[in-house]
Amino acid sequence: MTVTAGNSLLERLRRDPRMHEAVLRFGESIIALVIGLTIGAVILWVSGYSPGEAYYYLFQSSLLDTYGLTSTLSFATPVLLTGLTFAIGARAGLFNIGAEGQLYMGALGATLLAWLAMHVPLLDSPLGTLVGLLLGAALGAGLALIAAMLRVYRGVHEVVSTIMLNWIAYWLVYYLQSQKLYWPKDPTKSIPVPPGARLPLLLPGTELSASFLIAIGFTVFTYYLLWHMVHGYELRASGLSPRAARYAGIDPNRSIMLAFVLGGVAAGLAGAGEVMGRPPHYAITSGLSNLVNMGFDGITVALIGANHPLGMIPAAIFIGALNAGSRAMQAFAGVPLEMVRIVEGVIIIALAVPGILHMIEEYLRRKRELREIAAKEAEASQAG
Amino acid sequence: MAAPETGREPVVSMRDIVKIYPDGTVALRGVNLDIYPGEVLGLLGENGAGKTTLMKILAGFLKPTSGYILLRGRRVVWHSAAEALRHGIGMVHQHLSLVPVFTAYENIILGLPSRMLAGARQRIEKLMEETGLEVPLDEVVELLSFGEQQRVEILRMLFRNVDVLILDEPTTNLTPNETETLFNAIRKLKQQGKSIVFITHKLREVLEITDRIVVMRRGRVVGELPRAMADPRLLARMMVGREVLMRVEKPPAKPGEVVLRVENLWVKRDIGTWGVRGVSFEIRAGEIFGIAGVEGNGQAELVEAITGLRRVERGKIYFLGRDVTNLGPAELYRMGMAHVPEDRRSTGLIMDMNVVENSILGLHRWERFLRNKWGMLNWAAAEEHAKELVKKYEIAAPGLYSPVKYLSGGNQQKLLLGREISKNPKLIVAAQPTRGLDVAATEYVRRMLVALRNQGHAVLLVSSDTDEVMQLSDRIAVMYRGRFVVVTRPEEVTEEKLGLYMGGIEQA
Ligand SMILES: Nc1ncnc2c1ncn2[C@@H]1O[C@H](COP(=O)(O)OP(=O)(O)O)[C@@H](O)[C@H]1O
Ligand SMILES: [Mg+2]
Repeated sequence: MTVTAGNSLLERLRRDPRMHEAVLRFGESIIALVIGLTIGAVILWVSGYSPGEAYYYLFQSSLLDTYGLTSTLSFATPVLLTGLTFAIGARAGLFNIGAEGQLYMGALGATLLAWLAMHVPLLDSPLGTLVGLLLGAALGAGLALIAAMLRVYRGVHEVVSTIMLNWIAYWLVYYLQSQKLYWPKDPTKSIPVPPGARLPLLLPGTELSASFLIAIGFTVFTYYLLWHMVHGYELRASGLSPRAARYAGIDPNRSIMLAFVLGGVAAGLAGAGEVMGRPPHYAITSGLSNLVNMGFDGITVALIGANHPLGMIPAAIFIGALNAGSRAMQAFAGVPLEMVRIVEGVIIIALAVPGILHMIEEYLRRKRELREIAAKEAEASQAG
Repeated sequence: MAAPETGREPVVSMRDIVKIYPDGTVALRGVNLDIYPGEVLGLLGENGAGKTTLMKILAGFLKPTSGYILLRGRRVVWHSAAEALRHGIGMVHQHLSLVPVFTAYENIILGLPSRMLAGARQRIEKLMEETGLEVPLDEVVELLSFGEQQRVEILRMLFRNVDVLILDEPTTNLTPNETETLFNAIRKLKQQGKSIVFITHKLREVLEITDRIVVMRRGRVVGELPRAMADPRLLARMMVGREVLMRVEKPPAKPGEVVLRVENLWVKRDIGTWGVRGVSFEIRAGEIFGIAGVEGNGQAELVEAITGLRRVERGKIYFLGRDVTNLGPAELYRMGMAHVPEDRRSTGLIMDMNVVENSILGLHRWERFLRNKWGMLNWAAAEEHAKELVKKYEIAAPGLYSPVKYLSGGNQQKLLLGREISKNPKLIVAAQPTRGLDVAATEYVRRMLVALRNQGHAVLLVSSDTDEVMQLSDRIAVMYRGRFVVVTRPEEVTEEKLGLYMGGIEQA
């Protein structure tokens, strides 16, 4: 094959399995979205709302005007990152649901920066931004590392450890916010990040900050790592078959460590980004109310995006749109916010549909094949 | 054919049973079997012969792909194991299936409706007395020994009043005393008119306890005879059989320098007991060293120790003159070792990765597949490599980028073998390299191994297929209970004799 022939996008699409898989999964996700929205419409209709009106306000206000779109993207930012936490884990064969707690720790990192900046004015600057992000990433990774070590050295399943660590992180940050790092002017918040250290807004007057770019950058990096670097290859091999990995000279435990730490960094950045780049608070609010569930919503994003970093970008934007638009839907069409949760739920269930169809088809094909071989074997044994 | 107990009707008959597993493995190729009341039927065959599969079908755990079962002359179809059990067919698996935290008593009665539990305890105690299968009824099962747990399983079946009791390799983990107790119970059950199917690959046991012996090989029944007419020689020959494969041409060996030297190697199994107990040997360039033996006698542990996948507890391994004891696989591959593992589906290949990705598994950190020291993969080089393998080894694949699970077993093995040869190894360790392959693929792989040997590579072949070991090897060792019972040349031994070594009946 000549090199020139391989350069057009179409040609790469045809040849490259990763593209192939991505396109296929993307199609499946779109089908699921359509099914989800359709069933959601039926539920709206049965409940006495106008589906047309509801969806109009939902998407008009989240995708079709500038403020709505930026709001959608800023909602998409943290869930894209926490989605990566889950997806990287899944690729390594883990069920890592620790993004929630790691995100709290990331937010704590940014808050520590805010506290430090009160004493060190030098940090009220882009240097502070960097320190805040690093602290957030480090604390997120630190929490993840505990789960990783429990898994690798003690065999504790990550579902158990991450659920417990989520609660530990919640109450730790809750305590620090309310007792130690609260803002004297408004104790329902933590000390806000000083203006100079905040992540700059991409569009003045909106909620969209540079944290969105960080999320996209991290996503592309993750994609590249998983499919174009040897560490990602080893991570995926470990996830698909630990035995085969060991046979190939790969230490699956190293892959597990890598997946946890990288996932912790992603969730930590998500938390730090929420504090350093999300107007109006630039702080952790009482009860962590501006952070709660962002980690778990990432699991939805990962599922819709089929654990593929690039597929998760549109998935995160979709989830972001549902969040951003639900306010307008409630205000103008009178549909309760919870409706959005129902649509999300239906979509997640619908996501399983293509897989199930595929399995049934495969099963029937296989069965037919086996019957044929069996007939031949029986014939041969009677003849012999 | 031997028709025992003439005039008596069989309790169950199996007719034309074919079983193909979903992954395409042909486990049974048209099997007929009758079981008579009041007999102990020995089902004998090497590992992989299909014994377990056949009995799982009889006991309703598996559905046959084709063929049928007659129960007292009437055709039956099992929808579940519970249904077969209700009709009097019960099976005790090789791996027991009890609830560990329940007591023995609770496990025995588990799942029965309460109307059947009146006086259950007394009845169980009576069963224990009659059969001699004593267990502490109120002890939690996980605290019992394996032998006791097995008794709980048997009592469970007897309590349900089975007519046909299937025991799958029941003596594997028993002490001699426990075995004796079990045999006594079997004799008593037989007197009560029950039929017992005793699955084993041990010649001694089958001769001790059974009335009639059915021998299986490669998914077929290859012989049937009453115990009175059986002797170890005959059984061994039936078990190892002879295949209708073409013989592989083999010029005389030209052994070169020593490539691998193993000295007094001791290796443990997963469960902590010794798998390999003091094995020593050498392999030279340009020769095939074959290890024969019934599976489970330490071959797997030996292979894993040599290829860096299992800890060596005692002894030394020298590869190309260097002490490589307990060195990891990555280093060994770099030094020139290749490994075709026993289980290509779960170890040698990654089913959900594509052909290109699999073609570099284990070589993925080699310079030719990396773009720089940061670890960026050179997929173009990998694709080129995969393309070469596909061409050179005539691998039929839907595409370079389809997952290898869509390749047939033979093509998977060619890919695996091709990849290992592409390491340009000094030593190839091939474990059960033709298992589950069709005739054409089997021949291909065997030719390949001989060709490698002719080119001056050293080959370590481990196979429970005696025929294969005899045909391909320049020197043969037989492994039994973790030791080499004999090291010889194919010219100096008969297959029959080999079978006796394998069964532990003869020592060199
Ligand atoms: N679940 C399974 N899926 C695919 N192949 C199987 C499965 N179980 C057994 N086999 C294959 O079927 C053949 C017969 O196996 P088995 O009945 O366990 O033999 P035996 O009990 O005589 O050792 C072997 O080649 C084995 O690898
Ligand atoms: Mg078996």
